[in-house]
Amino acid sequence: MIEIGRNIFALIAFGSAVIFGIGGIIGLFRFPDAYSRLQAGALCGTTAVISIFIGSLILAPTWAIAARIILLLFFFLVSSPTGAHIVARFAWNSDIQPWRPADQRRTGSDDRSKE
Amino acid sequence: MDAKKIWHLIRFLITAVAMYAVWLLFSASFQPYSLIAGLIGSLLISALTYQEFIAEHEASLGSFMPRPIQLIVFLFILMFYLYQSSIKMLGAVFHGRVNPRIVHFRTRLRSDLARMVLSNSITLTPGTITLDLNDDHLTVHWFFCNTSHAKVAGEAVKGRMEQHLKRVWL
Repeated sequence: MIEIGRNIFALIAFGSAVIFGIGGIIGLFRFPDAYSRLQAGALCGTTAVISIFIGSLILAPTWAIAARIILLLFFFLVSSPTGAHIVARFAWNSDIQPWRPADQRRTGSDDRSKE
Repeated sequence: MDAKKIWHLIRFLITAVAMYAVWLLFSASFQPYSLIAGLIGSLLISALTYQEFIAEHEASLGSFMPRPIQLIVFLFILMFYLYQSSIKMLGAVFHGRVNPRIVHFRTRLRSDLARMVLSNSITLTPGTITLDLNDDHLTVHWFFCNTSHAKVAGEAVKGRMEQHLKRVWL
């Protein structure tokens, strides 16, 4: 009985990983500029990988393996936003203007002037 | 021994203990060969890298040693926010009603590590990416922007994460 419950929860986790991954890829191709593509790709990709980790944590046979998965999850929580931040920072430092929706666009002032 | 040497020794020992704990976890064997090899390796690597692992200008142990229970609570809160913002992002991918904008605000956290963790969790959570962290000044690309007022934007982006981080690190 417990085995079936574990399998069902792991299946839910893996299924949500697939949904988030596909959503991230679609967002990566749909959005217009570098920052928003990075938002979609990095955020949904991170959630997909973390869902996979949670699913394998539910299926972990022993405590030693579960502890390793938790450690991997922790490292991934540190490294993934750092990678996204480095790409975004490079785009920011090379003066790429963020995209605005057409009705929100102002002329004559940009965001960098506040710095 | 003066204070500086003791501080070097403490940083070295913390690095070595952290390395050895990870080695024990990943090797998962208690053969004497594995234990001794791990000990020698962790001592050697921590002798080479403790300057980077814990910077010398850190004020005290309290500025980089987290309180464990609060850290675990914070990780669960972070997971909750991560899923919440991912679902919001999935919606945005399909309906496409977004309003990206750059906002600037300050943080009240004092230790370097806490600021780093705050900017990392901002990158993870509600549709925001940290572009720059300069002392206590954060530049953030916000995907679902509804204000350009610095203080309001800061409260909306940092949310309750900053308050929880204040409890984890001093």
